[in-house]
Amino acid sequence: MLEYEEIVNFIQKSCWMLDEEDFDGFLSLCSKDFQYKITAFSPELNKEMIWMDEDYEGLKNLLGMVPEHLTRLGKFTRHVTIGQTLRGNEEIIIKSSFIAVHTDLNGKSNIFGVGRYNDKIISRDKGVFLLSREAHLETRDLGIGSHVPI
Amino acid sequence: MNYENTIASKRKSSLPDTHFVNGSVYTNKAIFQKEKEKIFFHTWHFICHESEVLRKYDFRTISFLGQPLIIIRGGDNKIRSFLNVCSHRGAKIIHAPSGNSKKLTCFYHLWSYNDRGDCISIPRENGYDNSNLKKNLCGLTELKTDVFMGMVFISFNEKIMPLNDFIGDSLSSFKNTLCSGKLEVFHYSKSTIKSNWKAWQETNLDLYHEWMHVLLRRTQINAGSMKDRKVQIMPNGHAVVGGLKAKYGSYKGINDRKTTKALPGLSSEDFFFVDLFPNFAILARGTAIRIDVVTPIDENTSLVEWRGLGIKDEDPKDRRLRWKHHNQYWGPFGRNVPEDAFAAEACGEGFINSASRYQIIAREENGTGQDDGMLRAWYKEWSKLTNVNINKP
Repeated sequence: MLEYEEIVNFIQKSCWMLDEEDFDGFLSLCSKDFQYKITAFSPELNKEMIWMDEDYEGLKNLLGMVPEHLTRLGKFTRHVTIGQTLRGNEEIIIKSSFIAVHTDLNGKSNIFGVGRYNDKIISRDKGVFLLSREAHLETRDLGIGSHVPI
Repeated sequence: MNYENTIASKRKSSLPDTHFVNGSVYTNKAIFQKEKEKIFFHTWHFICHESEVLRKYDFRTISFLGQPLIIIRGGDNKIRSFLNVCSHRGAKIIHAPSGNSKKLTCFYHLWSYNDRGDCISIPRENGYDNSNLKKNLCGLTELKTDVFMGMVFISFNEKIMPLNDFIGDSLSSFKNTLCSGKLEVFHYSKSTIKSNWKAWQETNLDLYHEWMHVLLRRTQINAGSMKDRKVQIMPNGHAVVGGLKAKYGSYKGINDRKTTKALPGLSSEDFFFVDLFPNFAILARGTAIRIDVVTPIDENTSLVEWRGLGIKDEDPKDRRLRWKHHNQYWGPFGRNVPEDAFAAEACGEGFINSASRYQIIAREENGTGQDDGMLRAWYKEWSKLTNVNINKP
């Protein structure tokens, strides 16, 4: 049984690895059947939308290509507050709020997006793994967007 | 401009007048005012897709150049557009981006309007008896509205040419798809970018910029022959580009697309697009369609809206796949659109204080490959309407 402190540390680690663009590190926290989604609700269409939808291999491929892309310069920092943990038999569902801040090369920071993470994790012999992450964005005007999962 | 740039001047002197654009075209406030008057408040503009107002009394509200608009499908199934401001104290009436209502009621003093814009209710109306103000004088201001292949266009110009004449044959390649009656908007996103609106539209007109996108280098430039591409310059500043097939499997992480999921009238590897003057582009990629429009907020800031079109009422698994196909290229976390927005903002930074004096639109490849002919044709129309010389504004 994972302690609450271990859950907090794990979620924080997953965000810091994305902040540092340590994609291999982030993927090492994901189970091989990991599912990643970015979702948003459109009040214009009155519809839910999926803006990114990848499994482990798909995410690995896309993250592997990021260095070849023209990407937003600077750094994202993901500020996470865990709101709820729901424990099942093996899995733990964690609902968090996040604010993603982008800091440009001149050191100017702006809010990129706010939303919630709906994470599912599992503790196995070899460690703790993310089974799924849904980043549900409230922010829908994302400026020039991003190649990197949020 | 407060210093000479002789290197830039010398380079420019080698170019024909049609092959470069002076930088002040992007930044000058007076030119921007002319654009608003002579282009945006003059011609036709795409405003939404008919699926966004599918049922009777469905409405969408949109801000177009700071003008609050409401687009509503009436009880007679006709789509109309109005200024979304109350005739009484001028307040914006409907604030929700979408909804369904037979009656549009202003929150302030409860004046109400019907689906045809008529003022139908004024509380304690007899208070206006002495000033002879009657309900029939208080309707909403209606704009010219027409639908072409399922796309709703508006114009502020009462004397504008018919929409059919404005578009002509430019959208013929989309006819079997857009007129299938099977499409709906399934993706909507928007971004405020720090750049003149033309810098965004140029990303849709500048074929040469494919080199910026690693995804397009892999799936388009290196996947076929540039000579297969055909650029057609159409009347009224529009342009059609087709001829290349995409090879999606050439980029690691993007799978080949199955023909069975192609939209009506398309094959899964199709890639073609149409630019309608001044601010509209529609792109087909076999399994999904993107529509984008850019509208200026001011001369240095623009709003870009993207819509994705897919099949109505499709199986959730198919919808999920179509979202993926659309968003891998064109979503806010896609491989392409963030790069286009980066480019538009970088051009904005170059021009805003005149570090860049002009841009070059001089590629000639006989209407194939990465010819700049679309850019030149677009600026020819722009000059015609604004009466501004692109070289010496």
